[in-house]
Amino acid sequence: MSFYLSTLAVYFGIDLLSAWSLNLQFGFAGVPNFAFIIFQAVGAYTAAILTLGPDTGINSFQRYFFGASLPYPFPLIFATLAGGALSYLIGSFSLKRMRRDYQAAVLLIVSLIAVQVVSTVVRFLNGSNGLTGIPKPFSGVLNISVAAYQWSYAAYVGVVCIIIYFILRRLLRSGWGRAVRAVRDHEDAAATLGLNGTKVRMQVFVFGGMIAGLSGGLLVQFINAWSPASWSYAETFGILTAVIIGGVANNKGAIVGTLLVQIIFLQLPSFLPQIGYPGLTAALQWVVIASIWLIFMAVKPRGIIPEARYKVKQPKGLITHEGDKAEQLLANLAAGEKDRVAK
Amino acid sequence: MSIFIASLGFGLVTASIIAIGSMGFTLQFGLTNVLNISFGAMMTFGAMGSLVAEKLGASMWIVVLVAPIVGALATVAVGRLVFPIFSRRGSGLFEMVMVTLAIDLLLQYLVDAVDHEQIFSFNFPSGHSFHFGPIVLTVTQLSIIAGAILLFVSLESLLRRTRLGKALRAMAGEPRLARACGVPTGRIVNVTWIISGALAGLAGLVYMMNSLTVDAFTGANFLPFVLGAAILGRAGSTVGAVVAALAMGMATEIAGAFGGSAYSTVAGFALLAIVLLTRPSGLIGDTLLKEEVTL
Repeated sequence: MSFYLSTLAVYFGIDLLSAWSLNLQFGFAGVPNFAFIIFQAVGAYTAAILTLGPDTGINSFQRYFFGASLPYPFPLIFATLAGGALSYLIGSFSLKRMRRDYQAAVLLIVSLIAVQVVSTVVRFLNGSNGLTGIPKPFSGVLNISVAAYQWSYAAYVGVVCIIIYFILRRLLRSGWGRAVRAVRDHEDAAATLGLNGTKVRMQVFVFGGMIAGLSGGLLVQFINAWSPASWSYAETFGILTAVIIGGVANNKGAIVGTLLVQIIFLQLPSFLPQIGYPGLTAALQWVVIASIWLIFMAVKPRGIIPEARYKVKQPKGLITHEGDKAEQLLANLAAGEKDRVAK
Repeated sequence: MSIFIASLGFGLVTASIIAIGSMGFTLQFGLTNVLNISFGAMMTFGAMGSLVAEKLGASMWIVVLVAPIVGALATVAVGRLVFPIFSRRGSGLFEMVMVTLAIDLLLQYLVDAVDHEQIFSFNFPSGHSFHFGPIVLTVTQLSIIAGAILLFVSLESLLRRTRLGKALRAMAGEPRLARACGVPTGRIVNVTWIISGALAGLAGLVYMMNSLTVDAFTGANFLPFVLGAAILGRAGSTVGAVVAALAMGMATEIAGAFGGSAYSTVAGFALLAIVLLTRPSGLIGDTLLKEEVTL
């Protein structure tokens, strides 16, 4: 039981990182990154081949290129960098100003094709069988029980989550964060202020890709195996569902969404007694997730906790009676607009 | 050299399969402005329908007929019952993509749940092989090519020569004006769903006839090529879709013949990336102006 709970805790942390990263790209910057999972995958593969050691050919069941055994923080650092580098590569042709539905389709194609390529080229990353036996960090050095190791890994992922949460919060409240939202909401208006939409999107894309790469590295060091089955395009859909249900462009909402979607619908059923033939639960899970997605898109498209309204702090002395009045007027107008839409 | 020429033959077959799908896709995309990802599930539905007919021992012609009927029915059902729920709420183009993606996953995993995650083999007589120099093609492959040409010609003449085609083109160009001029837009959209759905089912069938296997994810695996060809050929243009399909089919088979199967997918992908990089205006072009869903 403790084993399951600690595993769930680690998954929750990693899914949170994914959700925040995708929320940064999709929610705050408006980039429909339907290829999100490949950036997590590249982080996972990087961390894997940098800890597995050189491929000596002794293990005939497992072939991969390069291979090294770097000490602890380096595989994760390189996983993060790999996520950023791949984002830059993909972003270089997919972030131009184009219709968002085209953009989404292009990124989806990238995701589908990446899986096919990695699955077919065996010598690259062991094809569809994937890599196994990836060592856990410090597992040989630390002399603790399995349960203690699991819980310490969960705590460690938790610390990473807290750090990333505050970095994101700080960044999104800064001028850069305002620029990101401005480009999302009105690219032409943002351009008149001298903001280059494509450049801002690229910055968000690379930064999000780095978080995705980091989450992949953390995940693979915990589960010790990685194969194309772990990163089908449906996985992106799971994370996106968490973001949409929780609240688009709201990182607190993403926590709620992740808890609901990833933990309750996707992870918990695997601990329940099996129904039907093996694999039925997994297939039905996605049917349920897709239905929830459709219902939310129809009924509550902004999620459980919608995006917080950005408040401008006015410097003291400027707040005049007229200012208050204007604010009141604006609030009334907004309320009226809401009523009109509701009707 | 002979490998190269032989791969041209296979390229023609692959191109025909992609072309059948991308003609259907581009038709509905051009008219309704919905980038319909559930097209993948429709292709799986068509293939699965024919598979069931084949397993029940139906004759070859019935097996071939089942796929377009199943595809058309499923597409009309989704297009008339599900999409309007969202378009009435004022969902934008991108929101509609997310809706169609959800429908695609929903249907795909429903098939997966029903068929017990199996990969089925499809028994279809491939007929004799014909030799044209180094090119060797079976009767089935030749009929796929002939079928694609026939479909292209009939779709083009439908669009160019008939009143219905005129209405279709009018709606694709300027939906509001078409409605104001008395074009029965609702009925035209229905016709679009039927034609494009039938093409989706047929695409699934010919894909299965060529590979002789099918599972719940067949449509999803084939979708990138169909979608890619439709995007390369510009929305709504059947000629563009066919030319793009030809380029993609040739590129994938030639690369596959020399580099192995992995390179064939890379080649198709590289083609898309190159076009996106070099002539993005051709992609955005006039369609950037159309911001509304027409249903």
